Amino acid sequence: MQPDTADPSQPAFLATYLAGLPQPEHEHTGPARSVREDDFDGHHVVITTTYEITVDGRPLDVHIGLSNDGSAHCHGLPAYQLPSLVDLVRVLIRTFPDEFSPQPTPGDGHDGHDGHDGHDGQHTNDHGGAGSSGHSEHGDHPEHGDHSHVRDHGDGDMHGDDRPGGQ
Amino acid sequence: MAAIRPDILRDDQARADYIRGVRLLKHEPTTLTTDRFGISGRARPVYTYDLFVIWHVLAMNTAVPPGGDAGTRNAAHRGPVFLPWHRVMLRWLEAHLQRVLGDPDFGLPYWDWALDGTPPALGGVANPAASALWRDTPDGFGGQGSPVRGGGFAFDRADPTSFRVRIATDSSGALRQVTERGLARKFGQNAPFGSPRLPRTGDVRTAYNTRADPSLADYDRPPFDVSSRGFRNRLEGFTGPGLHNQVHLWVGGDMAPASSPNDPVFFVHHCNVDRLWERWMHRNGRQYQPDMTAPPNLLGHRIDDPLVSPFAPASKPDTPGGVLDVSALYSYDVLP
Ligand SMILES: [Cu+2]
Repeated sequence: MQPDTADPSQPAFLATYLAGLPQPEHEHTGPARSVREDDFDGHHVVITTTYEITVDGRPLDVHIGLSNDGSAHCHGLPAYQLPSLVDLVRVLIRTFPDEFSPQPTPGDGHDGHDGHDGHDGQHTNDHGGAGSSGHSEHGDHPEHGDHSHVRDHGDGDMHGDDRPGGQ
Repeated sequence: MAAIRPDILRDDQARADYIRGVRLLKHEPTTLTTDRFGISGRARPVYTYDLFVIWHVLAMNTAVPPGGDAGTRNAAHRGPVFLPWHRVMLRWLEAHLQRVLGDPDFGLPYWDWALDGTPPALGGVANPAASALWRDTPDGFGGQGSPVRGGGFAFDRADPTSFRVRIATDSSGALRQVTERGLARKFGQNAPFGSPRLPRTGDVRTAYNTRADPSLADYDRPPFDVSSRGFRNRLEGFTGPGLHNQVHLWVGGDMAPASSPNDPVFFVHHCNVDRLWERWMHRNGRQYQPDMTAPPNLLGHRIDDPLVSPFAPASKPDTPGGVLDVSALYSYDVLP
């Protein structure tokens, strides 16, 4: 490991490095696709699987990977390796509930984070920290515009205490 | 002098210093704003602590090798670099803690979670949720909740100095801003959402039992992924009783998604993971696989490949081989 020199001790050093890293592409080109390969008895096997997953009729944009034992994982959940895609989608719904909140009816007073119009930044009301209404700002991902990422519940709690299934 | 990393439940001073240091880093501006990291929404200041959330998410989304599939192996997980990359990340946090605490000898404390996961009859505690770690006093981490309302990382909307989460991910693993909210934890959920128990001391012990499983004498084995035999995958937790992964799942809440460094327990958890790796090297030698003869699809995971670390572009980048011996920087008070 490198010695800690004077420069790297400043937070701007790590920050500048991270800002220069390539941004992950989250390309959304049709159905989720997984490619598995195996070399067996001198043969090269390629298994390509595609999935179309919808939640409440809306397509789910996650990159799903399948391992050779058939278990599934995705980027958003690094510590999980799940036996089925049904479980994986259930965990996503539980972990990111705000992305799966119901479509709003027009004029129900939400914050307007609908992610459809791509006016990135114009919907990001500054809630101003202390005393704010605490709405999540997620949803202003223009590249995710095929979802309607609208939420209207307060506190930004990704893991509310009110949901069943825990202890 | 090299730092000595202590047990967080046996060193009250280290625990108090860690909490104080994390809170200082949580409110220390880096001079950069969210837009510089491609995070959409209004440009807001990025604070030093939150850099570690960003780093973890970016490394996880970085396919290794480039153009490969980050879901198979990435620059931080699911392959041989899991332990070296997290070692580097922890060392950077430790250095920043030393700076803000004004204590160049400060050692990052570790959480020996297997003790908390072991039933009383076997020498552990009655209930992992009742561990002293989760005390609601200012020298504790607070327990579960959404938000966590006790301990040194409690959220108080009216108190701008209280701990808050600012950057997280969406379901696809992309960085996003959240309006500042408190930390969330939900202990012991059942599968598939979590894990009802922590690893036990017996689970840790079997990870070193090379008689029962000779592959555990090797750091890693082909195909160097989540199906591999060998110590790395056993400790990462895709084989055997779970270990590292299981701790993330047991804590739940912010420890579950890619942004898991949001919970300060992430670092004391990973410090213990690093300690278990260190113990393994004491027993089995400072060895690492794969070496540089491995095929190109393992580029980024081989012993002399650069890690996704700030020193990567330099002439002498951080590599797995370069971080196997850290005795000049730190050691552990006790190797289990
Ligand atoms: Cu990690």
